[in-house]
Amino acid sequence: MNSRPVKIALRGLIKSFGEKHVLRDLDLDIFEGESVAVIGASGTGKSVLLKNIVGILTPDSGSIKIDGEEVAGLAGNARDRVNRKLGMLFQGSALFDSLPLWENVGFGLMSAHGISRADARVAAIERLRQVGLDADSADRFPADISAGAQKRVGLARAIATEPEILFFDEPTTGIDPIMGDVIDNLIVKSVKELGATALTITHDMESARRIADRVALIHEGKIAWIGDVGKIDTSGNEIVDQFIHGRVEGPMSASLLGTPAA
Amino acid sequence: MNFVAAIGRVFLSFLASTGRLAMFAGVSVSHIFRPPFYPRLLLRQIIEIGYYSLPVIGLTAVFTGMVLALQSYTGFARFNAEGAVATVVVLSITRELAPVLTGLMVAGRIGAAMAAEIGTMRVTEQIDALSTLATNPYKYLIAPRLLAGLIMLPCCVLIADIIGVYGGYLVAVHKLDFNPAVYLKNSWQFLELIDVISGLVKAGVFGFLIALMGCYHGFYSKGGAQGVGSATTNAVVSASILILGCNYLITEAFFSQ
Repeated sequence: MNSRPVKIALRGLIKSFGEKHVLRDLDLDIFEGESVAVIGASGTGKSVLLKNIVGILTPDSGSIKIDGEEVAGLAGNARDRVNRKLGMLFQGSALFDSLPLWENVGFGLMSAHGISRADARVAAIERLRQVGLDADSADRFPADISAGAQKRVGLARAIATEPEILFFDEPTTGIDPIMGDVIDNLIVKSVKELGATALTITHDMESARRIADRVALIHEGKIAWIGDVGKIDTSGNEIVDQFIHGRVEGPMSASLLGTPAA
Repeated sequence: MNFVAAIGRVFLSFLASTGRLAMFAGVSVSHIFRPPFYPRLLLRQIIEIGYYSLPVIGLTAVFTGMVLALQSYTGFARFNAEGAVATVVVLSITRELAPVLTGLMVAGRIGAAMAAEIGTMRVTEQIDALSTLATNPYKYLIAPRLLAGLIMLPCCVLIADIIGVYGGYLVAVHKLDFNPAVYLKNSWQFLELIDVISGLVKAGVFGFLIALMGCYHGFYSKGGAQGVGSATTNAVVSASILILGCNYLITEAFFSQ
Protein backbone atom coordinates (compact mmCIF):
# COMPACT_ATOMS: atom_id res chain seq x y z
CA MET A 1 0.00 0.00 0.00
CA ASN A 2 2.74 2.43 1.00
CA SER A 3 4.47 2.00 -2.38
CA ARG A 4 1.73 4.15 -3.93
CA PRO A 5 2.27 7.90 -4.07
CA VAL A 6 0.63 10.02 -1.39
CA LYS A 7 -2.49 11.69 -2.80
CA ILE A 8 -3.45 13.73 0.27
CA ALA A 9 -0.90 14.67 2.92
CA LEU A 10 -1.90 16.47 6.12
CA ARG A 11 0.79 17.77 8.47
CA GLY A 12 0.41 19.60 11.76
CA LEU A 13 -3.18 20.60 11.03
CA ILE A 14 -4.63 22.94 13.64
CA LYS A 15 -8.14 24.39 13.63
CA SER A 16 -9.88 26.15 16.49
CA PHE A 17 -13.21 27.94 16.87
CA GLY A 18 -12.65 30.51 19.59
CA GLU A 19 -11.64 28.64 22.71
CA LYS A 20 -12.59 25.29 21.24
CA HIS A 21 -9.57 23.50 19.77
CA VAL A 22 -10.94 20.98 17.29
CA LEU A 23 -7.91 19.82 15.31
CA ARG A 24 -4.64 19.71 17.24
CA ASP A 25 -1.53 19.01 15.20
CA LEU A 26 -3.19 16.34 13.07
CA ASP A 27 -1.11 14.27 10.61
CA LEU A 28 -2.54 11.91 8.00
CA ASP A 29 -1.42 10.43 4.67
CA ILE A 30 -3.89 9.03 2.15
CA PHE A 31 -2.35 7.07 -0.69
CA GLU A 32 -3.49 7.13 -4.29
CA GLY A 33 -6.35 4.76 -5.05
CA GLU A 34 -7.04 3.76 -1.44
CA SER A 35 -10.21 4.28 0.53
CA VAL A 36 -9.74 5.63 4.05
CA ALA A 37 -12.50 6.00 6.62
CA VAL A 38 -12.02 8.47 9.45
CA ILE A 39 -14.10 7.38 12.42
CA GLY A 40 -14.63 9.01 15.77
CA ALA A 41 -17.24 10.19 18.20
CA SER A 42 -19.55 13.11 17.44
CA GLY A 43 -17.88 16.49 17.91
CA THR A 44 -14.33 15.22 17.57
CA GLY A 45 -13.61 17.16 14.37
CA LYS A 46 -14.20 14.63 11.61
CA SER A 47 -16.29 16.98 9.46
CA VAL A 48 -13.98 19.91 10.28
CA LEU A 49 -11.06 17.84 8.98
CA LEU A 50 -12.89 17.13 5.74
CA LYS A 51 -14.01 20.74 5.27
CA ASN A 52 -10.43 21.92 5.68
CA ILE A 53 -9.26 19.56 2.94
CA VAL A 54 -11.95 20.62 0.43
CA GLY A 55 -11.44 24.33 1.18
CA ILE A 56 -14.74 25.11 2.89
CA LEU A 57 -12.72 25.96 6.03
CA THR A 58 -9.17 27.27 6.26
CA PRO A 59 -6.85 25.74 8.88
CA ASP A 60 -5.27 28.01 11.48
CA SER A 61 -1.94 26.40 10.68
CA GLY A 62 -0.49 23.27 9.15
CA SER A 63 -0.13 21.87 5.68
CA ILE A 64 -2.63 20.23 3.32
CA LYS A 65 -1.09 18.84 0.14
CA ILE A 66 -3.02 17.28 -2.72
CA ASP A 67 -0.78 15.65 -5.33
CA GLY A 68 2.13 17.44 -3.66
CA GLU A 69 0.57 20.89 -4.09
CA GLU A 70 -0.07 22.99 -1.00
CA VAL A 71 -3.80 23.80 -0.98
CA ALA A 72 -4.32 25.20 2.53
CA GLY A 73 -5.53 28.78 2.13
CA LEU A 74 -5.97 28.56 -1.65
CA ALA A 75 -8.82 30.72 -2.95
CA GLY A 76 -10.48 31.85 -6.16
CA ASN A 77 -9.47 30.24 -9.44
CA ALA A 78 -6.59 28.31 -7.85
CA ARG A 79 -9.02 26.65 -5.43
CA ASP A 80 -11.51 25.96 -8.23
CA ARG A 81 -8.74 24.26 -10.24
CA VAL A 82 -7.97 21.95 -7.30
CA ASN A 83 -11.66 21.33 -6.62
CA ARG A 84 -12.14 20.07 -10.19
CA LYS A 85 -10.28 16.98 -9.01
CA LEU A 86 -12.76 16.46 -6.18
CA GLY A 87 -16.25 15.12 -5.70
CA MET A 88 -18.12 15.20 -2.43
CA LEU A 89 -21.23 13.60 -0.98
CA PHE A 90 -22.56 15.76 1.85
CA GLN A 91 -24.13 14.47 5.04
CA GLY A 92 -27.51 16.01 4.16
CA SER A 93 -26.92 15.49 0.42
CA ALA A 94 -26.95 19.32 -0.07
CA LEU A 95 -28.81 19.03 -3.37
CA PHE A 96 -29.75 22.33 -5.00
CA ASP A 97 -33.46 22.41 -4.28
CA SER A 98 -34.24 24.89 -7.07
CA LEU A 99 -32.84 22.56 -9.74
CA PRO A 100 -34.23 19.27 -11.09
CA LEU A 101 -32.26 16.12 -10.32
CA TRP A 102 -30.53 15.95 -13.68
CA GLU A 103 -29.26 19.54 -13.30
CA ASN A 104 -27.99 18.72 -9.83
CA VAL A 105 -26.03 15.79 -11.21
CA GLY A 106 -24.85 17.62 -14.31
CA PHE A 107 -24.06 20.85 -12.46
CA GLY A 108 -20.30 20.31 -12.23
CA LEU A 109 -20.13 19.26 -15.88
CA MET A 110 -21.89 22.44 -17.03
CA SER A 111 -20.47 24.93 -14.56
CA ALA A 112 -16.87 23.84 -14.12
CA HIS A 113 -16.20 21.77 -17.23
CA GLY A 114 -18.09 23.80 -19.83
CA ILE A 115 -20.22 20.94 -21.16
CA SER A 116 -23.46 21.90 -22.95
CA ARG A 117 -26.82 21.44 -21.20
CA ALA A 118 -27.91 18.79 -23.70
CA ASP A 119 -24.76 16.71 -23.23
CA ALA A 120 -24.82 17.25 -19.46
CA ARG A 121 -28.40 15.98 -19.33
CA VAL A 122 -27.45 12.79 -21.15
CA ALA A 123 -24.46 12.25 -18.85
CA ALA A 124 -26.54 13.04 -15.75
CA ILE A 125 -29.26 10.54 -16.69
CA GLU A 126 -26.58 7.89 -17.17
CA ARG A 127 -25.16 8.67 -13.71
CA LEU A 128 -28.64 8.54 -12.19
CA ARG A 129 -29.10 5.14 -13.79
CA GLN A 130 -25.80 3.97 -12.27
CA VAL A 131 -27.05 4.79 -8.78
CA GLY A 132 -30.35 3.04 -9.39
CA LEU A 133 -32.64 5.91 -10.43
CA ASP A 134 -34.45 5.75 -13.75
CA ALA A 135 -34.60 8.43 -16.43
CA ASP A 136 -38.14 9.41 -15.41
CA SER A 137 -36.77 10.84 -12.16
CA ALA A 138 -34.43 13.23 -13.97
CA ASP A 139 -36.94 16.08 -14.08
CA ARG A 140 -38.13 15.69 -10.48
CA PHE A 141 -36.91 18.02 -7.74
CA PRO A 142 -35.00 17.05 -4.57
CA ALA A 143 -38.02 17.80 -2.36
CA ASP A 144 -40.02 15.17 -4.28
CA ILE A 145 -37.77 12.23 -3.39
CA SER A 146 -36.85 10.34 -0.20
CA ALA A 147 -33.70 10.92 1.89
CA GLY A 148 -32.23 7.68 0.55
CA ALA A 149 -32.86 8.72 -3.04
CA GLN A 150 -31.34 12.12 -2.26
CA LYS A 151 -28.17 10.35 -1.10
CA ARG A 152 -28.09 8.47 -4.39
CA VAL A 153 -28.45 11.70 -6.34
CA GLY A 154 -25.74 13.29 -4.17
CA LEU A 155 -23.49 10.35 -5.00
CA ALA A 156 -24.31 10.66 -8.71
CA ARG A 157 -23.40 14.35 -8.51
CA ALA A 158 -20.13 13.56 -6.72
CA ILE A 159 -19.01 11.07 -9.38
CA ALA A 160 -20.44 12.88 -12.42
CA THR A 161 -17.19 14.65 -13.29
CA GLU A 162 -15.16 11.46 -12.74
CA PRO A 163 -13.04 13.08 -10.01
CA GLU A 164 -9.68 11.75 -8.81
CA ILE A 165 -10.66 12.13 -5.15
CA LEU A 166 -14.03 11.41 -3.54
CA PHE A 167 -15.13 12.63 -0.12
CA PHE A 168 -18.09 11.16 1.73
CA ASP A 169 -19.39 12.96 4.80
CA GLU A 170 -21.46 10.58 6.94
CA PRO A 171 -22.91 8.78 3.90
CA THR A 172 -25.25 6.53 5.89
CA THR A 173 -26.49 9.05 8.47
CA GLY A 174 -30.24 9.66 8.41
CA ILE A 175 -31.19 6.66 6.29
CA ASP A 176 -32.34 3.16 7.20
CA PRO A 177 -29.81 0.28 7.48
CA ILE A 178 -30.90 -1.35 4.21
CA MET A 179 -30.53 1.91 2.27
CA GLY A 180 -27.25 2.47 4.12
CA ASP A 181 -26.01 -0.86 2.79
CA VAL A 182 -27.14 0.12 -0.72
CA ILE A 183 -25.32 3.48 -0.48
CA ASP A 184 -22.15 1.81 0.84
CA ASN A 185 -22.16 -0.69 -2.02
CA LEU A 186 -22.68 2.13 -4.53
CA ILE A 187 -19.76 4.02 -2.98
CA VAL A 188 -17.46 0.98 -3.20
CA LYS A 189 -18.55 0.34 -6.80
CA SER A 190 -18.11 4.00 -7.81
CA VAL A 191 -14.69 4.32 -6.19
CA LYS A 192 -13.46 1.14 -7.85
CA GLU A 193 -14.84 2.05 -11.29
CA LEU A 194 -13.26 5.50 -11.16
CA GLY A 195 -10.03 4.28 -9.56
CA ALA A 196 -10.43 7.23 -7.23
CA THR A 197 -8.91 7.98 -3.85
CA ALA A 198 -11.65 8.15 -1.22
CA LEU A 199 -11.95 9.67 2.23
CA THR A 200 -15.07 8.84 4.22
CA ILE A 201 -16.10 10.48 7.46
CA THR A 202 -18.36 8.27 9.53
CA HIS A 203 -19.24 7.06 12.98
CA ASP A 204 -21.01 4.02 11.53
CA MET A 205 -18.59 1.12 12.03
CA GLU A 206 -20.49 -1.21 9.71
CA SER A 207 -20.26 1.40 6.98
CA ALA A 208 -16.54 1.91 7.63
CA ARG A 209 -15.90 -1.82 7.38
CA ARG A 210 -17.73 -2.02 4.05
CA ILE A 211 -16.18 1.05 2.45
CA ALA A 212 -12.62 1.39 3.69
CA ASP A 213 -9.22 -0.16 3.01
CA ARG A 214 -7.81 1.63 6.04
CA VAL A 215 -9.46 3.18 9.07
CA ALA A 216 -8.22 6.15 11.08
CA LEU A 217 -9.70 7.06 14.45
CA ILE A 218 -9.72 10.72 15.42
CA HIS A 219 -9.62 11.60 19.11
CA GLU A 220 -8.86 14.92 20.81
CA GLY A 221 -8.00 16.51 17.47
CA LYS A 222 -5.41 13.94 16.42
CA ILE A 223 -5.32 10.58 14.68
CA ALA A 224 -5.21 8.18 17.62
CA TRP A 225 -4.94 5.04 15.52
CA ILE A 226 -4.70 4.14 11.83
CA GLY A 227 -4.50 0.72 10.26
CA ASP A 228 -5.99 -1.76 7.84
CA VAL A 229 -9.72 -2.26 8.24
CA GLY A 230 -9.17 -5.97 8.92
CA LYS A 231 -6.99 -5.21 11.92
CA ILE A 232 -9.38 -2.87 13.71
CA ASP A 233 -10.77 -5.60 15.97
CA THR A 234 -7.28 -6.61 17.09
CA SER A 235 -5.72 -3.16 17.22
CA GLY A 236 -4.88 -3.39 20.92
CA ASN A 237 -5.75 0.31 21.15
CA GLU A 238 -8.04 1.14 24.08
CA ILE A 239 -9.63 4.09 22.29
CA VAL A 240 -10.43 2.01 19.21
CA ASP A 241 -11.81 -0.80 21.35
CA GLN A 242 -14.06 1.59 23.26
CA PHE A 243 -15.36 3.17 20.05
CA ILE A 244 -16.05 0.03 18.03
CA HIS A 245 -17.78 -1.65 20.97
CA GLY A 246 -19.66 1.49 21.95
CA ARG A 247 -18.64 1.33 25.62
CA VAL A 248 -19.48 4.22 27.92
CA GLU A 249 -16.41 3.63 30.10
CA GLY A 250 -12.97 4.14 28.60
CA PRO A 251 -10.32 6.65 27.61
CA MET A 252 -12.71 8.62 25.33
CA SER A 253 -15.29 9.26 28.04
CA ALA A 254 -13.63 12.17 29.84
CA SER A 255 -13.18 14.31 26.74
CA LEU A 256 -16.61 13.43 25.32
CA LEU A 257 -18.53 14.20 28.48
CA GLY A 258 -16.60 17.42 29.03
CA THR A 259 -16.85 18.71 25.43
CA PRO A 260 -20.02 20.12 23.90
CA ALA A 261 -20.99 18.59 20.57
CA ALA A 262 -19.75 20.46 17.49
CA MET B 1 -16.82 50.48 33.50
CA ASN B 2 -18.93 47.57 32.20
CA PHE B 3 -21.24 50.04 30.51
CA VAL B 4 -18.32 51.59 28.63
CA ALA B 5 -17.05 48.15 27.68
CA ALA B 6 -20.51 47.22 26.39
CA ILE B 7 -20.62 50.35 24.21
CA GLY B 8 -17.12 49.53 22.96
CA ARG B 9 -18.14 46.00 22.06
CA VAL B 10 -21.18 47.23 20.16
CA PHE B 11 -19.08 49.79 18.30
CA LEU B 12 -16.39 47.23 17.41
CA SER B 13 -19.06 44.80 16.28
CA PHE B 14 -20.59 47.51 14.10
CA LEU B 15 -17.20 48.28 12.53
CA ALA B 16 -16.55 44.59 11.90
CA SER B 17 -19.96 44.16 10.26
CA THR B 18 -19.46 47.25 8.12
CA GLY B 19 -16.07 46.01 6.97
CA ARG B 20 -17.44 42.56 6.21
CA LEU B 21 -20.32 44.08 4.23
CA ALA B 22 -17.93 46.31 2.27
CA MET B 23 -15.70 43.34 1.42
CA PHE B 24 -18.73 41.25 0.47
CA ALA B 25 -19.99 44.03 -1.81
CA GLY B 26 -16.55 44.58 -3.37
CA VAL B 27 -15.98 40.88 -4.11
CA SER B 28 -19.52 40.46 -5.44
CA VAL B 29 -19.32 43.48 -7.75
CA SER B 30 -15.95 42.32 -9.10
CA HIS B 31 -17.58 39.03 -10.12
CA ILE B 32 -20.18 40.89 -12.21
CA PHE B 33 -17.39 41.82 -14.63
CA ARG B 34 -15.33 38.60 -14.57
CA PRO B 35 -16.20 35.48 -16.60
CA PRO B 36 -17.73 32.96 -16.54
CA PHE B 37 -21.13 34.67 -16.73
CA TYR B 38 -24.47 33.06 -16.01
CA PRO B 39 -27.02 34.71 -18.36
CA ARG B 40 -29.69 32.13 -17.54
CA LEU B 41 -29.47 32.99 -13.83
CA LEU B 42 -29.49 36.71 -14.60
CA LEU B 43 -32.62 36.29 -16.71
CA ARG B 44 -34.31 34.33 -13.92
CA GLN B 45 -33.55 37.10 -11.43
CA ILE B 46 -34.69 39.79 -13.86
CA ILE B 47 -38.03 38.02 -14.21
CA GLU B 48 -38.27 37.47 -10.45
CA ILE B 49 -37.42 41.05 -9.49
CA GLY B 50 -39.08 42.85 -12.38
CA TYR B 51 -41.96 40.88 -13.83
CA TYR B 52 -43.28 39.24 -10.67
CA SER B 53 -43.05 42.51 -8.70
CA LEU B 54 -45.22 44.41 -11.18
CA PRO B 55 -48.63 43.67 -9.56
CA VAL B 56 -47.58 44.92 -6.12
CA ILE B 57 -45.72 47.88 -7.61
CA GLY B 58 -48.68 48.79 -9.82
CA LEU B 59 -51.18 48.64 -6.97
CA THR B 60 -48.91 50.70 -4.71
CA ALA B 61 -48.38 53.31 -7.41
CA VAL B 62 -52.01 53.68 -8.48
CA PHE B 63 -53.31 54.10 -4.93
CA THR B 64 -50.48 56.47 -4.05
CA GLY B 65 -51.28 58.64 -7.07
CA MET B 66 -54.98 58.60 -6.23
CA VAL B 67 -54.44 59.56 -2.58
CA LEU B 68 -51.93 62.22 -3.54
CA ALA B 69 -54.38 63.88 -5.94
CA LEU B 70 -57.13 63.82 -3.34
CA GLN B 71 -54.93 65.15 -0.52
CA SER B 72 -53.38 67.85 -2.71
CA TYR B 73 -56.77 68.99 -3.86
CA THR B 74 -58.23 69.25 -0.34
CA GLY B 75 -55.14 71.12 0.82
CA PHE B 76 -54.72 73.48 -2.13
CA ALA B 77 -58.43 74.26 -2.26
CA ARG B 78 -57.98 76.21 0.98
CA PHE B 79 -56.06 78.90 -0.90
CA ASN B 80 -57.52 78.43 -4.38
CA ALA B 81 -54.47 76.64 -5.82
CA GLU B 82 -56.29 73.56 -7.19
CA GLY B 83 -54.52 74.07 -10.51
CA ALA B 84 -51.24 72.90 -8.93
CA VAL B 85 -52.60 69.43 -8.17
CA ALA B 86 -51.37 67.91 -11.44
CA THR B 87 -47.88 69.34 -11.00
CA VAL B 88 -47.64 68.23 -7.38
CA VAL B 89 -48.75 64.71 -8.28
CA VAL B 90 -46.32 64.28 -11.17
CA LEU B 91 -43.33 65.76 -9.34
CA SER B 92 -44.01 63.87 -6.10
CA ILE B 93 -44.46 60.60 -7.94
CA THR B 94 -41.42 60.83 -10.22
CA ARG B 95 -38.99 62.37 -7.74
CA GLU B 96 -39.89 60.63 -4.49
CA LEU B 97 -42.88 58.39 -4.10
CA ALA B 98 -42.41 55.99 -7.00
CA PRO B 99 -38.74 55.20 -6.26
CA VAL B 100 -39.08 55.09 -2.47
CA LEU B 101 -42.34 53.13 -2.29
CA THR B 102 -41.26 50.78 -5.06
CA GLY B 103 -37.97 50.27 -3.24
CA LEU B 104 -39.71 49.51 0.04
CA MET B 105 -42.20 47.13 -1.58
CA VAL B 106 -39.46 45.29 -3.48
CA ALA B 107 -37.32 45.18 -0.31
CA GLY B 108 -40.20 43.40 1.42
CA ARG B 109 -40.82 41.03 -1.46
CA ILE B 110 -37.44 40.38 -3.04
CA GLY B 111 -34.98 41.21 -0.25
CA ALA B 112 -36.75 38.79 2.07
CA ALA B 113 -36.93 36.09 -0.60
CA MET B 114 -33.23 36.42 -1.43
CA ALA B 115 -32.20 36.24 2.21
CA ALA B 116 -34.42 33.22 2.80
CA GLU B 117 -33.25 31.37 -0.32
CA ILE B 118 -29.54 32.01 0.15
CA GLY B 119 -29.80 31.53 3.91
CA THR B 120 -31.43 28.15 3.41
CA MET B 121 -28.71 27.24 0.94
CA ARG B 122 -26.13 28.22 3.57
CA VAL B 123 -27.58 26.17 6.43
CA THR B 124 -28.21 23.13 4.23
CA GLU B 125 -24.62 23.21 2.91
CA GLN B 126 -25.72 23.97 -0.66
CA ILE B 127 -23.28 26.89 -0.80
CA ASP B 128 -20.49 24.58 0.38
CA ALA B 129 -21.55 22.16 -2.34
CA LEU B 130 -21.16 24.92 -4.93
CA SER B 131 -17.55 25.41 -3.80
CA THR B 132 -16.77 21.71 -4.05
CA LEU B 133 -18.19 21.77 -7.59
CA ALA B 134 -15.56 24.41 -8.46
CA THR B 135 -18.24 27.10 -8.75
CA ASN B 136 -17.72 30.42 -7.04
CA PRO B 137 -20.82 31.20 -4.94
CA TYR B 138 -20.28 34.94 -5.30
CA LYS B 139 -20.34 34.61 -9.08
CA TYR B 140 -23.17 32.08 -9.22
CA LEU B 141 -25.49 33.38 -6.49
CA ILE B 142 -24.68 36.99 -5.69
CA ALA B 143 -23.53 38.71 -8.89
CA PRO B 144 -26.68 37.89 -10.96
CA ARG B 145 -28.93 39.16 -8.16
CA LEU B 146 -27.02 42.42 -7.73
CA LEU B 147 -27.02 43.07 -11.48
CA ALA B 148 -30.71 42.19 -11.82
CA GLY B 149 -31.61 44.53 -8.94
CA LEU B 150 -29.56 47.33 -10.49
CA ILE B 151 -31.24 46.87 -13.89
CA MET B 152 -34.81 46.10 -12.93
CA LEU B 153 -35.63 48.63 -10.20
CA PRO B 154 -35.35 51.59 -12.65
CA CYS B 155 -37.63 49.72 -15.08
CA CYS B 156 -40.13 49.08 -12.29
CA VAL B 157 -39.98 52.71 -11.17
CA LEU B 158 -40.58 53.96 -14.70
CA ILE B 159 -43.73 51.85 -14.82
CA ALA B 160 -44.68 53.04 -11.32
CA ASP B 161 -44.24 56.65 -12.52
CA ILE B 162 -46.75 56.12 -15.32
CA ILE B 163 -49.25 54.19 -13.19
CA GLY B 164 -48.95 56.66 -10.28
CA VAL B 165 -49.56 59.66 -12.49
CA TYR B 166 -52.49 57.84 -14.07
CA GLY B 167 -53.91 57.17 -10.58
CA GLY B 168 -53.82 60.91 -9.87
CA TYR B 169 -55.43 61.57 -13.25
CA LEU B 170 -58.28 59.13 -12.49
CA VAL B 171 -59.19 60.84 -9.23
CA ALA B 172 -58.70 64.36 -10.58
CA VAL B 173 -60.80 63.83 -13.70
CA HIS B 174 -63.47 61.37 -12.53
CA LYS B 175 -63.95 62.50 -8.92
CA LEU B 176 -62.76 66.08 -8.72
CA ASP B 177 -64.08 67.11 -12.17
CA PHE B 178 -60.78 68.41 -13.55
CA ASN B 179 -60.65 68.97 -17.29
CA PRO B 180 -58.63 65.99 -18.69
CA ALA B 181 -56.73 68.05 -21.27
CA VAL B 182 -55.84 70.77 -18.76
CA TYR B 183 -54.77 68.20 -16.16
CA LEU B 184 -52.46 66.47 -18.66
CA LYS B 185 -51.09 69.80 -19.87
CA ASN B 186 -50.31 70.85 -16.29
CA SER B 187 -48.67 67.50 -15.66
CA TRP B 188 -46.32 67.83 -18.60
CA GLN B 189 -45.73 71.60 -18.39
CA PHE B 190 -43.62 71.63 -15.23
CA LEU B 191 -42.11 68.14 -15.53
CA GLU B 192 -38.41 68.18 -16.38
CA LEU B 193 -36.16 65.35 -17.48
CA ILE B 194 -34.12 65.66 -14.27
CA ASP B 195 -37.21 64.80 -12.21
CA VAL B 196 -37.54 61.45 -13.93
CA ILE B 197 -33.79 60.82 -14.14
CA SER B 198 -33.27 61.45 -10.41
CA GLY B 199 -35.99 58.91 -9.62
CA LEU B 200 -34.40 56.32 -11.90
CA VAL B 201 -30.95 56.88 -10.36
CA LYS B 202 -32.48 56.39 -6.93
CA ALA B 203 -34.14 53.22 -8.19
CA GLY B 204 -30.84 51.82 -9.46
CA VAL B 205 -29.18 52.48 -6.09
CA PHE B 206 -32.15 51.04 -4.19
CA GLY B 207 -32.23 47.93 -6.38
CA PHE B 208 -28.54 47.31 -5.74
CA LEU B 209 -28.95 47.85 -1.99
CA ILE B 210 -32.00 45.56 -1.73
CA ALA B 211 -30.16 42.74 -3.50
CA LEU B 212 -26.98 43.38 -1.52
CA MET B 213 -28.77 43.25 1.84
CA GLY B 214 -30.76 40.16 0.88
CA CYS B 215 -27.67 38.32 -0.34
CA TYR B 216 -25.41 39.47 2.49
CA HIS B 217 -27.72 38.50 5.33
CA GLY B 218 -28.58 35.21 3.64
CA PHE B 219 -24.94 34.40 2.89
CA TYR B 220 -23.87 34.86 6.51
CA SER B 221 -26.92 33.31 8.14
CA LYS B 222 -26.35 30.45 10.56
CA GLY B 223 -28.16 28.40 13.14
CA GLY B 224 -30.86 26.70 11.09
CA ALA B 225 -34.43 27.92 10.67
CA GLN B 226 -34.08 30.62 13.33
CA GLY B 227 -30.96 31.97 11.65
CA VAL B 228 -32.69 32.11 8.28
CA GLY B 229 -35.63 33.92 9.89
CA SER B 230 -33.31 36.49 11.44
CA ALA B 231 -31.50 36.93 8.12
CA THR B 232 -34.81 37.62 6.39
CA THR B 233 -35.85 40.21 8.97
CA ASN B 234 -32.42 41.88 8.94
CA ALA B 235 -32.40 42.00 5.14
CA VAL B 236 -35.72 43.83 4.95
CA VAL B 237 -35.03 46.21 7.86
CA SER B 238 -31.50 47.13 6.75
CA ALA B 239 -32.56 47.57 3.11
CA SER B 240 -35.48 49.80 4.15
CA ILE B 241 -33.31 52.00 6.35
CA LEU B 242 -30.64 52.28 3.65
CA ILE B 243 -33.29 53.17 1.07
CA LEU B 244 -34.61 56.02 3.23
CA GLY B 245 -31.11 57.27 4.10
CA CYS B 246 -29.81 57.09 0.54
CA ASN B 247 -32.98 58.74 -0.72
CA TYR B 248 -32.08 61.86 1.22
CA LEU B 249 -28.45 61.81 0.07
CA ILE B 250 -29.37 61.41 -3.61
CA THR B 251 -32.04 64.10 -3.34
CA GLU B 252 -29.44 66.38 -1.78
CA ALA B 253 -27.01 65.60 -4.61
CA PHE B 254 -29.58 66.31 -7.34
CA PHE B 255 -31.62 69.19 -6.03
CA SER B 256 -29.72 71.10 -3.32
CA GLN B 257 -29.04 74.67 -4.36
